Amino acid sequence: MALKVFSIPALPRVNNSAARLLPVATTLLAAVISVLPVQIPGYAALTPVFTLMAAYHWTIYRPDLLPPAALFAVGLSEDLLAGSPVGVNALLLLLARVAVLSYRRYFVNRNFPFVWTGFALLTVLAMFALWLLHCILNLSLLDFRNAVIRAALTVAIFPVASFMLGRAQRAVMGTG
Amino acid sequence: MIRLSPQMRSAIQRTTLPILVLLSAVFIVLGKADQLLFDSLRTRVSDSAAPVLDALARPLNAVNDVVDHVRLAVMTYQENVRLEAENSRLMQWQQAARNLAAENRELRGLLKAVPQTALSYVTAPVIANSGGAFVRMILINAGSEDHVSRGEAAITGEGLVGRLTEVGERASRVLLITDLNSRIPVTIESTHVPAVLAGDNSERPRLQYLPSAGSAKIGDRIITSGEGGVFPPGLPVGVVTAIDSTGPRVEPYVELSELSYVLVVDYGLARSLPQPLPMLSRPNKHARSAGEAAATH
Repeated sequence: MALKVFSIPALPRVNNSAARLLPVATTLLAAVISVLPVQIPGYAALTPVFTLMAAYHWTIYRPDLLPPAALFAVGLSEDLLAGSPVGVNALLLLLARVAVLSYRRYFVNRNFPFVWTGFALLTVLAMFALWLLHCILNLSLLDFRNAVIRAALTVAIFPVASFMLGRAQRAVMGTG
Repeated sequence: MIRLSPQMRSAIQRTTLPILVLLSAVFIVLGKADQLLFDSLRTRVSDSAAPVLDALARPLNAVNDVVDHVRLAVMTYQENVRLEAENSRLMQWQQAARNLAAENRELRGLLKAVPQTALSYVTAPVIANSGGAFVRMILINAGSEDHVSRGEAAITGEGLVGRLTEVGERASRVLLITDLNSRIPVTIESTHVPAVLAGDNSERPRLQYLPSAGSAKIGDRIITSGEGGVFPPGLPVGVVTAIDSTGPRVEPYVELSELSYVLVVDYGLARSLPQPLPMLSRPNKHARSAGEAAATH
């Protein structure tokens, strides 16, 4: 697997530590939110992939403040907390970063529907990869219907997450 | 902060991502090869996250309660009608149960039967769930400090929830009966035919290893058999609601997606047994940890 590293263009410097920590903190918060026991029938199996939303948002707008090491750490903590095989979410977030960075120049300064479509593509790919990986790990063909619904839910909730992350970004960093 | 030359810095930036991707892949493979490898790390992370998750789950429970209240307030009339019907039915059952209890007592006296092992319970709030399409687990806020042990059954008033697979000091992980890796020895209550309840990540686990295809019928109650010695026999599990190409499907009595509290059943056996799950792979480690468990209790 060839992993090209794409140069991240110079982004406005932020000096206050709240702003520097915001991307990592929100991505970690997304991981915690995804394991909270919400009592909606069937929710646990269909929990939206909140970390992917945060990773996507920050990789487009501030990839410098959400480095691979942070994605790795958040993914790993999510795996350890949720009980999923260790490394799965870390791998997913890192590969998402690779995918998003390689197309990042098309997304910056574009309107929201465009960004949303990009996220939908990423989510479908990610859910498919996740399903494939779990099939291999369990050596059996698993039911993928839940993964499809989960992808749909994730895409549907993305605008809300994106709005909140954007708000936080403007409030703390002063840039959008 | 250490000052790095620009070349050095860019070299590090270039290599971290591929290295971390590789590392994740290695973790996945290692975790698959040795299921116990990450156990202690998992337990430590769950333990340290338990207070935070508990604090976050509490307001969530309050919200869930409010939603419940509103729903109940809206449905009071129908609910009342339903409850009255249920009440009159239950009164008949109560009468039947009293008669049976009296008869049972008499017969036991005649037989000089040994009373069943007393159970003790630990109540624990659910503080996290697995959040994903391919794992069915919950994290509960009780651990070895609360005298729960690995392998014990988690139940609610309605029936079996799952089995404790990892026990930390403050938090434990419960493998739900619907998880792909869950296998529970059960019997069909009416006929005492043994079977294994195998989860497959769907809402309704299936019955395996029945002596013949026709052994289970729709409507049969499924209870734990107690085989293997760790679970008490007779815990209600669910009811056969469908029979498809893969076999009979069991609808659990417990609404597994609406758990806020579970009871951990101490049958007094889990601790005296060696670690119940992957005991074949590392006999030495298990002998030691079983010894430690015995020493601490």
